[in-house]
Amino acid sequence: MFAVETLSLSKRYGKTDALRELNFTVDEGEIMVILGPNGSGKTTLLMILCTILKPTSGTAKVMGIDVVEEGTKVREVMGIAFQEARGFWRHKPSSILRFHASMFDIDSMKRQDLIEQTMKDLELWESRDKKFMHLSGGQAKRLETAKVLVQRPKLAIFDEPTSQVDLRGKRKIWDKIRELRDQGSTVIVATNEVREAEYLADRVTILHQGHLVVRDSIPKLKDAIAGGDVVEVGFEGPVTDNLVAELKGLGGALALSPEGNELRAKVSRAEDWVPKMTSASYNLGAKISSIKITEPSLDDVFIHFTGKALIDQQ
Amino acid sequence: MSEFSRLLLVARTDFSYFFRTKWLMAVLISLSLSDMLVTALVMGRMISPEYFSFLVPGIVTVGLFTAATDTGRRIWLALREGVVQYYMTLPIRTSGLVVAYIISGGLGGVVYSSALLIIASFAVHPHNILNAILLLPFMFVLATGIAGLAAFFASISRRGEIYWVYAQALQVTLVTISTIFYSAQTISRYLPGPIATIADYNPLSLAATALRDSVFSGELLNTTLLSNLLATSLPLAALGALAYWVILRTLRLRGKP
Repeated sequence: MFAVETLSLSKRYGKTDALRELNFTVDEGEIMVILGPNGSGKTTLLMILCTILKPTSGTAKVMGIDVVEEGTKVREVMGIAFQEARGFWRHKPSSILRFHASMFDIDSMKRQDLIEQTMKDLELWESRDKKFMHLSGGQAKRLETAKVLVQRPKLAIFDEPTSQVDLRGKRKIWDKIRELRDQGSTVIVATNEVREAEYLADRVTILHQGHLVVRDSIPKLKDAIAGGDVVEVGFEGPVTDNLVAELKGLGGALALSPEGNELRAKVSRAEDWVPKMTSASYNLGAKISSIKITEPSLDDVFIHFTGKALIDQQ
Repeated sequence: MSEFSRLLLVARTDFSYFFRTKWLMAVLISLSLSDMLVTALVMGRMISPEYFSFLVPGIVTVGLFTAATDTGRRIWLALREGVVQYYMTLPIRTSGLVVAYIISGGLGGVVYSSALLIIASFAVHPHNILNAILLLPFMFVLATGIAGLAAFFASISRRGEIYWVYAQALQVTLVTISTIFYSAQTISRYLPGPIATIADYNPLSLAATALRDSVFSGELLNTTLLSNLLATSLPLAALGALAYWVILRTLRLRGKP
Protein backbone atom coordinates (compact mmCIF):
# COMPACT_ATOMS: atom_id res chain seq x y z
CA MET A 1 0.00 0.00 0.00
CA PHE A 2 1.17 3.50 -0.80
CA ALA A 3 1.14 6.14 1.92
CA VAL A 4 -0.32 8.49 -0.67
CA GLU A 5 -1.86 7.66 -4.00
CA THR A 6 -3.65 9.94 -6.44
CA LEU A 7 -5.33 8.89 -9.67
CA SER A 8 -6.10 11.43 -12.41
CA LEU A 9 -6.38 14.10 -9.73
CA SER A 10 -7.48 17.49 -11.06
CA LYS A 11 -8.35 20.77 -9.42
CA ARG A 12 -9.75 23.74 -11.25
CA TYR A 13 -10.30 27.26 -9.85
CA GLY A 14 -12.67 28.97 -12.27
CA LYS A 15 -10.88 28.74 -15.60
CA THR A 16 -7.48 27.95 -14.10
CA ASP A 17 -6.27 24.37 -13.86
CA ALA A 18 -4.16 24.08 -10.72
CA LEU A 19 -3.71 20.31 -11.04
CA ARG A 20 -4.16 18.30 -14.23
CA GLU A 21 -4.76 14.54 -14.19
CA LEU A 22 -2.10 13.98 -11.55
CA ASN A 23 -1.00 10.41 -10.86
CA PHE A 24 1.26 10.51 -7.85
CA THR A 25 2.40 8.05 -5.19
CA VAL A 26 4.46 8.24 -2.04
CA ASP A 27 5.92 5.13 -0.42
CA GLU A 28 5.52 4.54 3.29
CA GLY A 29 8.44 5.80 5.38
CA GLU A 30 10.07 8.01 2.75
CA ILE A 31 10.57 11.75 2.46
CA MET A 32 9.03 12.85 -0.82
CA VAL A 33 9.98 16.37 -1.81
CA ILE A 34 7.65 18.12 -4.22
CA LEU A 35 9.67 20.65 -6.13
CA GLY A 36 8.16 23.34 -8.26
CA PRO A 37 7.88 27.08 -8.66
CA ASN A 38 5.03 29.10 -7.18
CA GLY A 39 1.82 28.26 -9.00
CA SER A 40 2.96 24.78 -9.99
CA GLY A 41 0.18 23.13 -7.97
CA LYS A 42 2.21 22.04 -4.93
CA THR A 43 0.05 23.69 -2.31
CA THR A 44 -3.18 22.69 -4.06
CA LEU A 45 -2.06 19.05 -3.98
CA LEU A 46 -1.24 19.29 -0.27
CA MET A 47 -4.54 21.02 0.51
CA ILE A 48 -6.39 18.16 -1.19
CA LEU A 49 -4.39 15.54 0.71
CA CYS A 50 -5.16 17.20 4.03
CA THR A 51 -8.88 17.44 3.03
CA ILE A 52 -9.14 21.23 3.08
CA LEU A 53 -9.81 21.26 -0.66
CA LYS A 54 -12.07 18.96 -2.62
CA PRO A 55 -10.68 17.81 -5.98
CA THR A 56 -12.60 18.69 -9.14
CA SER A 57 -12.10 15.14 -10.40
CA GLY A 58 -10.00 12.06 -9.71
CA THR A 59 -9.23 10.38 -6.42
CA ALA A 60 -6.69 10.75 -3.65
CA LYS A 61 -5.98 8.30 -0.85
CA VAL A 62 -3.91 8.72 2.29
CA MET A 63 -2.90 5.44 3.95
CA GLY A 64 -5.54 3.81 1.77
CA ILE A 65 -8.31 6.15 2.96
CA ASP A 66 -10.19 8.26 0.43
CA VAL A 67 -9.78 11.97 1.24
CA VAL A 68 -13.25 12.91 -0.01
CA GLU A 69 -15.27 9.97 1.29
CA GLU A 70 -13.61 9.64 4.71
CA GLY A 71 -12.08 13.01 5.45
CA THR A 72 -12.27 12.71 9.23
CA LYS A 73 -10.38 9.39 9.19
CA VAL A 74 -7.71 10.90 6.93
CA ARG A 75 -7.29 13.79 9.34
CA GLU A 76 -6.68 11.34 12.19
CA VAL A 77 -3.52 10.02 10.50
CA MET A 78 -2.26 13.21 8.90
CA GLY A 79 -0.66 16.42 10.11
CA ILE A 80 0.24 19.52 8.13
CA ALA A 81 2.51 22.52 8.71
CA PHE A 82 1.06 25.26 6.51
CA GLN A 83 3.07 27.57 4.29
CA GLU A 84 1.58 30.51 6.21
CA ALA A 85 1.56 29.83 9.95
CA ARG A 86 -1.99 29.49 11.29
CA GLY A 87 -2.72 30.27 14.92
CA PHE A 88 -5.05 31.94 17.32
CA TRP A 89 -3.54 35.40 17.48
CA ARG A 90 -4.04 35.85 21.18
CA HIS A 91 -2.92 32.39 22.26
CA LYS A 92 0.58 31.51 23.42
CA PRO A 93 2.70 28.94 21.57
CA SER A 94 2.52 26.48 24.44
CA SER A 95 -1.29 26.61 24.59
CA ILE A 96 -1.51 26.27 20.79
CA LEU A 97 0.62 23.11 21.01
CA ARG A 98 -1.37 21.79 23.98
CA PHE A 99 -4.61 22.23 22.04
CA HIS A 100 -3.13 20.48 19.02
CA ALA A 101 -1.75 17.60 21.10
CA SER A 102 -5.13 17.15 22.83
CA MET A 103 -6.95 17.02 19.50
CA PHE A 104 -4.70 14.18 18.40
CA ASP A 105 -4.87 12.18 21.63
CA ILE A 106 -1.25 12.62 22.63
CA ASP A 107 -0.86 10.89 25.99
CA SER A 108 -1.60 13.53 28.62
CA MET A 109 1.23 12.19 30.84
CA LYS A 110 3.80 12.72 28.10
CA ARG A 111 2.21 15.76 26.49
CA GLN A 112 3.88 18.49 28.53
CA ASP A 113 7.36 16.97 28.28
CA LEU A 114 6.97 16.43 24.55
CA ILE A 115 5.83 20.01 24.00
CA GLU A 116 8.64 21.42 26.14
CA GLN A 117 11.28 19.32 24.38
CA THR A 118 9.98 20.20 20.90
CA MET A 119 9.88 23.90 21.75
CA LYS A 120 13.45 23.72 23.04
CA ASP A 121 14.60 21.80 19.97
CA LEU A 122 13.14 24.47 17.70
CA GLU A 123 14.35 27.34 19.90
CA LEU A 124 10.83 28.41 20.80
CA TRP A 125 11.04 27.88 24.53
CA GLU A 126 12.13 31.47 25.20
CA SER A 127 9.05 32.70 23.33
CA ARG A 128 6.59 30.40 25.10
CA ASP A 129 4.82 33.28 26.85
CA LYS A 130 4.55 35.54 23.82
CA LYS A 131 1.23 35.75 22.04
CA PHE A 132 1.12 34.23 18.57
CA MET A 133 0.58 37.64 17.01
CA HIS A 134 3.84 38.88 18.55
CA LEU A 135 6.00 36.06 17.19
CA SER A 136 8.38 36.83 14.34
CA GLY A 137 7.73 35.23 10.95
CA GLY A 138 10.44 32.65 11.61
CA GLN A 139 9.12 31.83 15.09
CA ALA A 140 5.57 31.41 13.81
CA LYS A 141 6.89 29.13 11.09
CA ARG A 142 8.81 27.03 13.63
CA LEU A 143 5.66 26.80 15.76
CA GLU A 144 3.82 25.52 12.70
CA THR A 145 6.47 22.80 12.34
CA ALA A 146 6.35 22.07 16.07
CA LYS A 147 2.65 21.17 15.81
CA VAL A 148 3.44 18.31 13.42
CA LEU A 149 6.49 17.19 15.42
CA VAL A 150 4.42 16.96 18.60
CA GLN A 151 1.65 15.12 16.74
CA ARG A 152 3.98 12.58 15.04
CA PRO A 153 1.38 11.62 12.42
CA LYS A 154 1.61 8.70 10.03
CA LEU A 155 1.71 11.21 7.18
CA ALA A 156 3.43 14.51 7.91
CA ILE A 157 3.10 17.30 5.37
CA PHE A 158 5.30 20.40 5.37
CA ASP A 159 4.56 23.22 2.95
CA GLU A 160 7.74 25.28 2.49
CA PRO A 161 8.80 24.55 6.09
CA THR A 162 11.78 26.89 6.24
CA SER A 163 10.67 29.98 4.36
CA GLN A 164 11.35 33.00 6.62
CA VAL A 165 13.61 30.85 8.84
CA ASP A 166 17.31 31.70 9.28
CA LEU A 167 20.02 29.29 8.12
CA ARG A 168 20.63 27.75 11.57
CA GLY A 169 16.90 27.32 12.07
CA LYS A 170 16.56 25.71 8.65
CA ARG A 171 19.13 23.04 9.53
CA LYS A 172 17.33 22.28 12.82
CA ILE A 173 13.97 21.92 11.09
CA TRP A 174 15.46 19.70 8.38
CA ASP A 175 17.07 17.46 11.00
CA LYS A 176 13.79 17.18 12.92
CA ILE A 177 11.94 16.28 9.71
CA ARG A 178 14.45 13.52 9.00
CA GLU A 179 14.10 12.33 12.60
CA LEU A 180 10.34 12.15 12.07
CA ARG A 181 10.91 9.94 9.02
CA ASP A 182 13.33 7.76 11.02
CA GLN A 183 10.60 7.30 13.66
CA GLY A 184 8.31 5.82 11.00
CA SER A 185 6.34 8.73 9.57
CA THR A 186 5.94 9.26 5.86
CA VAL A 187 6.86 12.83 5.01
CA ILE A 188 5.92 15.11 2.13
CA VAL A 189 7.78 18.40 1.82
CA ALA A 190 6.76 20.98 -0.76
CA THR A 191 9.45 23.49 -1.57
CA ASN A 192 10.97 25.65 -4.23
CA GLU A 193 14.31 25.73 -2.42
CA VAL A 194 16.89 23.47 -4.05
CA ARG A 195 19.09 23.16 -0.95
CA GLU A 196 16.12 22.03 1.12
CA ALA A 197 15.21 19.40 -1.45
CA GLU A 198 18.81 18.14 -1.69
CA TYR A 199 19.10 17.86 2.09
CA LEU A 200 15.79 16.12 2.73
CA ALA A 201 14.64 14.12 -0.25
CA ASP A 202 14.57 10.36 -0.54
CA ARG A 203 12.75 11.06 -3.78
CA VAL A 204 11.77 14.20 -5.62
CA THR A 205 8.63 14.92 -7.62
CA ILE A 206 8.82 17.83 -10.01
CA LEU A 207 5.53 19.60 -10.59
CA HIS A 208 5.15 22.15 -13.34
CA GLN A 209 1.92 23.94 -14.29
CA GLY A 210 -0.16 21.31 -12.51
CA HIS A 211 1.54 18.38 -14.22
CA LEU A 212 3.83 15.77 -12.70
CA VAL A 213 6.95 16.10 -14.82
CA VAL A 214 9.18 13.47 -13.25
CA ARG A 215 9.60 11.54 -9.99
CA ASP A 216 12.76 9.79 -8.82
CA SER A 217 15.68 9.90 -6.41
CA ILE A 218 18.01 12.89 -6.78
CA PRO A 219 21.03 10.85 -8.07
CA LYS A 220 18.85 9.19 -10.71
CA LEU A 221 17.33 12.51 -11.76
CA LYS A 222 20.81 13.98 -12.13
CA ASP A 223 22.05 10.96 -14.04
CA ALA A 224 19.09 11.31 -16.38
CA ILE A 225 20.59 14.54 -17.72
CA ALA A 226 22.78 13.53 -20.67
CA GLY A 227 26.13 15.31 -20.26
CA GLY A 228 25.04 16.74 -16.94
CA ASP A 229 28.25 15.85 -15.05
CA VAL A 230 31.18 18.11 -15.87
CA VAL A 231 34.67 16.61 -15.39
CA GLU A 232 37.67 18.95 -15.49
CA VAL A 233 40.96 17.06 -15.78
CA GLY A 234 44.39 18.68 -15.35
CA PHE A 235 47.40 17.00 -17.01
CA GLU A 236 51.12 17.50 -16.35
CA GLY A 237 51.64 18.11 -20.08
CA PRO A 238 49.55 19.43 -22.97
CA VAL A 239 46.48 17.42 -23.99
CA THR A 240 47.33 15.69 -27.27
CA ASP A 241 44.99 14.96 -30.19
CA ASN A 242 45.82 11.32 -29.69
CA LEU A 243 44.56 11.41 -26.10
CA VAL A 244 41.37 13.22 -27.13
CA ALA A 245 40.70 10.64 -29.86
CA GLU A 246 41.29 7.82 -27.38
CA LEU A 247 38.89 9.39 -24.86
CA LYS A 248 36.27 9.92 -27.54
CA GLY A 249 36.53 6.22 -28.30
CA LEU A 250 35.59 5.38 -24.70
CA GLY A 251 32.05 6.66 -25.21
CA GLY A 252 29.94 8.22 -22.47
CA ALA A 253 31.23 11.75 -23.10
CA LEU A 254 29.00 14.17 -24.95
CA ALA A 255 31.65 16.85 -25.35
CA LEU A 256 35.41 17.02 -24.88
CA SER A 257 37.07 20.44 -24.82
CA PRO A 258 40.89 20.37 -24.55
CA GLU A 259 42.70 23.63 -23.72
CA GLY A 260 46.41 23.61 -22.91
CA ASN A 261 47.04 21.19 -20.06
CA GLU A 262 43.34 20.89 -19.26
CA LEU A 263 40.45 18.90 -20.61
CA ARG A 264 36.80 19.59 -19.91
CA ALA A 265 34.34 16.75 -20.50
CA LYS A 266 30.56 16.67 -20.30
CA VAL A 267 29.47 13.16 -19.34
CA SER A 268 26.25 11.52 -18.20
CA ARG A 269 27.74 9.45 -15.37
CA ALA A 270 31.07 10.76 -14.09
CA GLU A 271 31.44 7.75 -11.77
CA ASP A 272 31.57 5.43 -14.83
CA TRP A 273 33.61 7.65 -17.15
CA VAL A 274 36.41 8.83 -14.83
CA PRO A 275 37.93 5.35 -14.13
CA LYS A 276 37.95 4.60 -17.86
CA MET A 277 39.51 7.99 -18.61
CA THR A 278 42.29 7.60 -16.01
CA SER A 279 43.10 4.13 -17.32
CA ALA A 280 43.24 5.34 -20.95
CA SER A 281 45.40 8.33 -19.98
CA TYR A 282 47.79 6.07 -18.07
CA ASN A 283 48.13 3.75 -21.07
CA LEU A 284 49.03 6.74 -23.27
CA GLY A 285 51.51 8.05 -20.70
CA ALA A 286 49.52 11.21 -19.94
CA LYS A 287 49.97 12.02 -16.24
CA ILE A 288 46.93 13.45 -14.48
CA SER A 289 47.55 16.21 -11.93
CA SER A 290 43.94 16.99 -10.90
CA ILE A 291 40.34 15.90 -11.42
CA LYS A 292 37.32 18.01 -10.57
CA ILE A 293 33.80 16.65 -10.95
CA THR A 294 30.77 18.91 -10.89
CA GLU A 295 27.31 17.35 -10.69
CA PRO A 296 24.27 19.15 -12.06
CA SER A 297 22.18 20.96 -9.46
CA LEU A 298 18.49 20.29 -8.94
CA ASP A 299 17.94 23.59 -10.72
CA ASP A 300 19.70 22.07 -13.75
CA VAL A 301 17.45 19.03 -13.36
CA PHE A 302 14.41 21.30 -13.32
CA ILE A 303 15.60 23.13 -16.45
CA HIS A 304 16.28 19.83 -18.16
CA PHE A 305 12.79 18.46 -17.54
CA THR A 306 10.70 21.63 -17.89
CA GLY A 307 12.82 23.80 -20.16
CA LYS A 308 12.63 26.59 -17.58
CA ALA A 309 14.72 27.64 -14.61
CA LEU A 310 13.24 27.07 -11.17
CA ILE A 311 14.42 30.45 -9.90
CA ASP A 312 13.16 32.40 -12.94
CA GLN A 313 9.74 30.92 -12.33
CA GLN A 314 9.33 32.51 -8.87
CA MET B 1 -10.75 11.19 22.37
CA SER B 2 -14.22 10.98 20.84
CA GLU B 3 -15.37 13.39 18.17
CA PHE B 4 -17.79 14.92 20.66
CA SER B 5 -14.92 15.61 23.08
CA ARG B 6 -13.00 17.25 20.24
CA LEU B 7 -16.04 19.36 19.43
CA LEU B 8 -16.19 20.51 23.05
CA LEU B 9 -12.46 21.27 23.00
CA VAL B 10 -12.89 23.50 19.93
CA ALA B 11 -15.88 25.20 21.59
CA ARG B 12 -13.88 25.77 24.78
CA THR B 13 -10.94 27.22 22.85
CA ASP B 14 -13.17 29.60 20.93
CA PHE B 15 -15.05 30.50 24.12
CA SER B 16 -11.76 31.36 25.85
CA TYR B 17 -10.85 33.53 22.85
CA PHE B 18 -13.83 35.76 23.64
CA PHE B 19 -12.42 36.54 27.07
CA ARG B 20 -8.88 37.08 25.75
CA THR B 21 -9.92 40.25 23.94
CA LYS B 22 -9.58 42.26 27.16
CA TRP B 23 -10.06 45.71 25.62
CA LEU B 24 -13.24 44.59 23.92
CA MET B 25 -14.41 43.12 27.23
CA ALA B 26 -13.59 46.37 29.02
CA VAL B 27 -15.64 48.34 26.46
CA LEU B 28 -18.56 45.91 26.67
CA ILE B 29 -18.67 45.91 30.47
CA SER B 30 -18.30 49.68 30.73
CA LEU B 31 -21.10 50.18 28.20
CA SER B 32 -23.39 47.79 30.07
CA LEU B 33 -22.59 49.33 33.45
CA SER B 34 -22.95 52.89 32.19
CA ASP B 35 -26.37 51.92 30.81
CA MET B 36 -27.36 50.83 34.29
CA LEU B 37 -25.81 53.85 36.06
CA VAL B 38 -27.22 56.43 33.68
CA THR B 39 -30.58 54.81 34.05
CA ALA B 40 -30.25 54.71 37.82
CA LEU B 41 -29.16 58.32 38.17
CA VAL B 42 -31.06 60.03 35.39
CA MET B 43 -33.93 57.98 34.07
CA GLY B 44 -34.88 56.71 37.51
CA ARG B 45 -35.46 60.32 38.68
CA MET B 46 -36.98 61.53 35.40
CA ILE B 47 -39.44 58.70 34.95
CA SER B 48 -39.74 56.56 38.06
CA PRO B 49 -37.58 54.26 40.19
CA GLU B 50 -39.61 51.33 38.86
CA TYR B 51 -38.29 52.03 35.38
CA PHE B 52 -34.82 51.12 36.62
CA SER B 53 -36.11 47.74 37.81
CA PHE B 54 -37.81 47.32 34.45
CA LEU B 55 -34.68 48.20 32.51
CA VAL B 56 -32.07 46.11 34.35
CA PRO B 57 -33.26 42.73 32.94
CA GLY B 58 -33.29 44.40 29.52
CA ILE B 59 -29.68 45.46 29.88
CA VAL B 60 -28.74 41.93 30.97
CA THR B 61 -30.45 40.64 27.82
CA VAL B 62 -28.63 43.19 25.66
CA GLY B 63 -25.39 42.02 27.29
CA LEU B 64 -26.25 38.46 26.27
CA PHE B 65 -26.93 39.70 22.74
CA THR B 66 -23.63 41.59 22.52
CA ALA B 67 -21.57 38.68 23.85
CA ALA B 68 -23.26 36.14 21.58
CA THR B 69 -22.82 38.44 18.57
CA ASP B 70 -19.07 38.34 19.19
CA THR B 71 -19.18 34.82 17.72
CA GLY B 72 -19.52 36.46 14.32
CA ARG B 73 -16.42 38.56 14.90
CA ARG B 74 -14.48 35.46 15.93
CA ILE B 75 -15.69 33.52 12.89
CA TRP B 76 -14.69 36.40 10.63
CA LEU B 77 -11.27 36.60 12.32
CA ALA B 78 -10.83 32.83 12.04
CA LEU B 79 -11.52 33.07 8.33
CA ARG B 80 -9.07 35.98 7.97
CA GLU B 81 -6.33 34.50 10.18
CA GLY B 82 -6.58 31.12 8.50
CA VAL B 83 -7.51 29.37 11.74
CA VAL B 84 -10.53 27.90 9.95
CA GLN B 85 -8.23 26.08 7.53
CA TYR B 86 -6.30 24.77 10.52
CA TYR B 87 -9.54 23.58 12.14
CA MET B 88 -10.40 21.85 8.88
CA THR B 89 -7.31 19.64 9.25
CA LEU B 90 -8.40 18.41 12.68
CA PRO B 91 -10.17 15.06 13.09
CA ILE B 92 -13.61 16.57 13.43
CA ARG B 93 -16.44 16.82 10.90
CA THR B 94 -17.41 20.14 9.33
CA SER B 95 -20.77 19.94 11.07
CA GLY B 96 -18.90 19.42 14.35
CA LEU B 97 -16.93 22.62 13.79
CA VAL B 98 -20.16 24.51 13.12
CA VAL B 99 -21.81 23.19 16.26
CA ALA B 100 -18.70 24.00 18.31
CA TYR B 101 -18.85 27.65 17.26
CA ILE B 102 -22.56 27.92 18.00
CA ILE B 103 -22.09 26.29 21.45
CA SER B 104 -19.22 28.64 22.16
CA GLY B 105 -21.42 31.63 21.23
CA GLY B 106 -24.11 30.32 23.56
CA LEU B 107 -21.64 29.94 26.41
CA GLY B 108 -20.21 33.42 25.84
CA GLY B 109 -23.69 34.96 25.97
CA VAL B 110 -24.74 33.09 29.11
CA VAL B 111 -21.51 33.67 31.04
CA TYR B 112 -21.38 37.38 30.19
CA SER B 113 -25.06 38.04 30.92
CA SER B 114 -24.86 36.02 34.15
CA ALA B 115 -22.00 38.25 35.30
CA LEU B 116 -24.14 41.31 34.52
CA LEU B 117 -27.05 39.73 36.37
CA ILE B 118 -24.90 39.29 39.47
CA ILE B 119 -23.75 42.93 39.26
CA ALA B 120 -27.35 44.07 38.70
CA SER B 121 -28.54 42.11 41.74
CA PHE B 122 -26.66 44.59 43.94
CA ALA B 123 -28.93 47.37 42.65
CA VAL B 124 -32.19 45.48 42.14
CA HIS B 125 -32.95 42.71 44.57
CA PRO B 126 -33.76 39.42 42.76
CA HIS B 127 -36.78 37.68 44.27
CA ASN B 128 -36.08 34.22 42.99
CA ILE B 129 -32.48 33.13 42.36
CA LEU B 130 -33.56 29.53 41.65
CA ASN B 131 -35.61 30.78 38.71
CA ALA B 132 -32.53 32.60 37.43
CA ILE B 133 -30.66 29.27 37.48
CA LEU B 134 -33.58 27.48 35.79
CA LEU B 135 -33.63 30.15 33.10
CA LEU B 136 -29.96 29.58 32.21
CA PRO B 137 -30.56 26.75 29.68
CA PHE B 138 -33.18 28.92 27.93
CA MET B 139 -30.79 31.87 27.88
CA PHE B 140 -28.16 29.52 26.45
CA VAL B 141 -30.50 28.55 23.60
CA LEU B 142 -31.27 32.23 22.96
CA ALA B 143 -27.54 32.98 22.88
CA THR B 144 -26.95 30.14 20.37
CA GLY B 145 -29.70 31.70 18.22
CA ILE B 146 -28.01 35.11 18.33
CA ALA B 147 -24.63 33.44 17.71
CA GLY B 148 -26.23 31.73 14.72
CA LEU B 149 -27.39 35.06 13.31
CA ALA B 150 -23.90 36.49 13.87
CA ALA B 151 -22.37 33.46 12.16
CA PHE B 152 -24.71 34.04 9.23
CA PHE B 153 -23.62 37.67 8.86
CA ALA B 154 -19.93 36.78 9.31
CA SER B 155 -20.31 34.16 6.59
CA ILE B 156 -21.72 36.61 4.06
CA SER B 157 -19.34 39.49 4.92
CA ARG B 158 -16.32 39.81 2.68
CA ARG B 159 -14.80 42.55 4.83
CA GLY B 160 -14.65 43.07 8.58
CA GLU B 161 -16.36 46.46 8.52
CA ILE B 162 -19.26 44.98 6.55
CA TYR B 163 -19.76 42.48 9.35
CA TRP B 164 -19.88 45.33 11.88
CA VAL B 165 -22.51 47.11 9.76
CA TYR B 166 -24.66 43.96 9.73
CA ALA B 167 -24.16 43.41 13.47
CA GLN B 168 -25.08 47.01 14.32
CA ALA B 169 -28.12 46.92 12.04
CA LEU B 170 -29.21 43.69 13.70
CA GLN B 171 -28.78 45.19 17.17
CA VAL B 172 -30.69 48.37 16.32
CA THR B 173 -33.52 46.37 14.76
CA LEU B 174 -33.81 43.74 17.48
CA VAL B 175 -33.48 46.19 20.35
CA THR B 176 -35.80 48.82 18.85
CA ILE B 177 -38.59 46.42 17.93
CA SER B 178 -38.65 44.82 21.35
CA THR B 179 -39.92 45.26 24.87
CA ILE B 180 -36.41 45.57 26.29
CA PHE B 181 -36.56 49.29 27.05
CA TYR B 182 -40.30 49.90 26.89
CA SER B 183 -43.29 47.86 27.99
CA ALA B 184 -45.51 46.04 25.52
CA GLN B 185 -48.29 48.56 26.26
CA THR B 186 -46.06 51.51 25.34
CA ILE B 187 -44.95 49.78 22.13
CA SER B 188 -48.52 48.99 21.06
CA ARG B 189 -49.56 52.59 21.80
CA TYR B 190 -46.98 54.15 19.49
CA LEU B 191 -46.17 51.51 16.87
CA PRO B 192 -48.43 49.73 14.29
CA GLY B 193 -50.03 46.47 15.40
CA PRO B 194 -47.86 44.06 13.35
CA ILE B 195 -44.68 45.67 14.66
CA ALA B 196 -45.97 45.44 18.22
CA THR B 197 -46.63 41.73 17.64
CA ILE B 198 -43.10 41.26 16.29
CA ALA B 199 -41.78 43.09 19.37
CA ASP B 200 -43.74 40.69 21.59
CA TYR B 201 -42.27 37.62 19.89
CA ASN B 202 -38.77 39.02 19.53
CA PRO B 203 -36.64 36.48 21.44
CA LEU B 204 -34.84 39.31 23.25
CA SER B 205 -38.22 40.63 24.49
CA LEU B 206 -39.17 37.14 25.63
CA ALA B 207 -35.89 36.75 27.53
CA ALA B 208 -36.16 40.18 29.16
CA THR B 209 -39.78 39.47 30.18
CA ALA B 210 -38.82 36.07 31.60
CA LEU B 211 -36.06 37.70 33.69
CA ARG B 212 -38.37 40.48 34.88
CA ASP B 213 -41.25 38.23 35.82
CA SER B 214 -39.48 35.14 37.14
CA VAL B 215 -36.31 36.50 38.69
CA PHE B 216 -37.01 40.07 39.75
CA SER B 217 -40.78 39.86 40.43
CA GLY B 218 -40.76 36.34 41.83
CA GLU B 219 -43.53 34.96 39.59
CA LEU B 220 -43.61 31.34 38.49
CA LEU B 221 -41.79 30.43 35.28
CA ASN B 222 -44.13 30.97 32.34
CA THR B 223 -43.88 27.81 30.21
CA THR B 224 -45.64 29.39 27.21
CA LEU B 225 -43.19 32.25 27.22
CA LEU B 226 -40.24 29.87 27.52
CA SER B 227 -41.60 27.68 24.70
CA ASN B 228 -41.88 30.78 22.53
CA LEU B 229 -38.30 31.67 23.45
CA LEU B 230 -37.11 28.26 22.28
CA ALA B 231 -39.28 28.35 19.17
CA THR B 232 -37.88 31.73 18.09
CA SER B 233 -34.24 31.06 19.01
CA LEU B 234 -33.69 27.61 17.56
CA PRO B 235 -34.42 28.58 13.92
CA LEU B 236 -31.87 31.40 14.22
CA ALA B 237 -29.25 28.94 15.49
CA ALA B 238 -30.09 26.61 12.62
CA LEU B 239 -29.85 29.45 10.07
CA GLY B 240 -26.40 30.47 11.36
CA ALA B 241 -25.20 26.88 11.47
CA LEU B 242 -26.32 26.37 7.89
CA ALA B 243 -24.64 29.60 6.70
CA TYR B 244 -21.36 28.72 8.41
CA TRP B 245 -21.52 25.17 7.06
CA VAL B 246 -22.05 26.55 3.54
CA ILE B 247 -19.05 28.86 3.89
CA LEU B 248 -16.82 25.95 5.00
CA ARG B 249 -18.09 23.88 2.10
CA THR B 250 -17.34 26.77 -0.27
CA LEU B 251 -13.85 26.95 1.20
CA ARG B 252 -13.34 23.26 0.38
CA LEU B 253 -14.52 23.77 -3.19
CA ARG B 254 -13.00 27.12 -4.10
CA GLY B 255 -10.09 27.40 -1.69
CA LYS B 256 -11.44 30.69 -0.33
CA PRO B 257 -14.67 31.75 1.39
